[in-house]
Amino acid sequence: MSTEKIKIKTEDFWNREHVVEKFWNGLREGVIYARKCKECGAIEFPPHHACNTCGYHETEWTTLKGTGILKSFVFTGVLNARLELEDRGLKYVCGEVQFDEGPAINAVILGINRKKARLIQPKLPVRVKPVFYDMGRYTTLFFEVDEEA
Amino acid sequence: MLTNVKLGKNMRSVSIVGIGATPFFNGVENPTYKGLTNGELFGYAALDAMKDAGVEPRDVQFFFHGCANPHVMDNCITPNLQVADWFGMRGKGSLSHSEGCCTGYIALEEAVFAVASGAYDIVLTGCCDQGTGMPDGNTPAMYRVPLTAEVLFPDLDSIFDRAYGRYLGGGPGMNHDDWINLYAHENGLSADQIDDVLNHQAYHFRRNATLCERAIRRKPYDEMAKEAGYDDVWEYMKSPYNPKMSQYLRTSSDSCVADGAAACIVVPTEIAKQFNPKPIEVLGCGASVLDAIVPHLEKKATAEAARQVYELTGLTGDDIDLLFVNDFIGSSAFLAAEEVGYLPKGEGWKYVLDGRLAYDGDKPMNTNGGRTSYGHAFGTSGMADIFEAVTQMRGDAGDRQIKKLPKHTFLRGFGGAQNVRAIILEANY
Repeated sequence: MSTEKIKIKTEDFWNREHVVEKFWNGLREGVIYARKCKECGAIEFPPHHACNTCGYHETEWTTLKGTGILKSFVFTGVLNARLELEDRGLKYVCGEVQFDEGPAINAVILGINRKKARLIQPKLPVRVKPVFYDMGRYTTLFFEVDEEA
Repeated sequence: MLTNVKLGKNMRSVSIVGIGATPFFNGVENPTYKGLTNGELFGYAALDAMKDAGVEPRDVQFFFHGCANPHVMDNCITPNLQVADWFGMRGKGSLSHSEGCCTGYIALEEAVFAVASGAYDIVLTGCCDQGTGMPDGNTPAMYRVPLTAEVLFPDLDSIFDRAYGRYLGGGPGMNHDDWINLYAHENGLSADQIDDVLNHQAYHFRRNATLCERAIRRKPYDEMAKEAGYDDVWEYMKSPYNPKMSQYLRTSSDSCVADGAAACIVVPTEIAKQFNPKPIEVLGCGASVLDAIVPHLEKKATAEAARQVYELTGLTGDDIDLLFVNDFIGSSAFLAAEEVGYLPKGEGWKYVLDGRLAYDGDKPMNTNGGRTSYGHAFGTSGMADIFEAVTQMRGDAGDRQIKKLPKHTFLRGFGGAQNVRAIILEANY
């Protein structure tokens, strides 16, 4: 058997999209990629192949503005501190953020200390906007309270 | 998330006819237990379960070995084949599985499937985790050193989605306090009230553990308070002796890491009484899995798993006599009790304050003390709960036997950020 028998290269036979790479590369450029269900229209964030809202198999690329509302939040302690944020001396809380386009995730919200938390808590939900934070080898998506909203 | 799963009836009913368990202990500090290995511990629990079922190793056809993290804690990735020889099952089929702290509950689910399918008649399923230590370099298994925070904490992140959630960061940070925070706001409870509720819950679960010979923490909080110079135990519970570890959880509501093994034998219900006069039937197992990036994941997954098993069995929370909740996050206990209908919605915190969840209360749960007092050997904790559930359902729990012999017991498994199982057992004798 010789390689002359090969009619089609494996890489031509199967060459699918790199979804995770596209997502993180997008954040580096300040773009928030998501997928939209081709059947029910729900936004899948972060992006995956299929729809987790209705269970349909096909989605397509879309982008999010990154704005939304902070619905609830908690402080971290010894048990659950995010070491990569503590190491950078960041003030943060973790909370539920719902994008204006619909999907909700547990996210990091920067710039909230105990004093500010006391002011925000009774006003929930409050508007938030995206922070594209350089972690060194990758850029991630955090949020901050939109004081102008 | 979709909630359209309708569980079908198993091809044949399956019952638990044998149980075995070691105590939960600190294997690097307790001189009595120091040096015991995964194979020995699993073997002792397995042979105790076989003895309880009246079978010999030669009779058992297949086994499952569960462990939350065999690579870090025992430097192996195929523990099933490394332990098989310890209990006479060399050459027979087996399977390793690892679903974080939900492993022990899934261990029962898998074994039930194996028998319900008709493939096997007598199956052993067990778990062994040695959570207090790790291998001391490249040496035989008896050499272990304490599991350090430097190793454990970065490794804990491995339960979170590596594609996205771990690096978007919010999910891991919400893991412990999300549900209790939501509950506090929904029910208008202050931080001080939640503190009282969680302290009372820890206090009463310790009362359970005091009477449980296999628990790792048995000293009553009253005694600990007196030793620390406090006349009022509730003052002690809010003192620096019991510091906050997260926004809501004090050390008394945090799990106590332990070593231990537990196992059970399952067979077709139709022949169960040949093995044990008090078989415990597994009526069903609901399942839901959500990654930590999903807001309020524990509440949602618990509700979905419970919905499935209640729909299958036709039972409701009112039919449940005893409840176990994997509460390595202490607040999970009474929150899950409400979510599965064991306690009325929004009222669970009052039951806690009144001590009604203790072994001598009218809504008993976690009668072995739960993760905060019985201890937490990660993947093994669920199987230890099954051991305690069967013990209570047989009426063999001695001083901590609950008032009403339970007909139905509900177990809410949880772990690995996060797998959830909802299992209902029925006393079938």
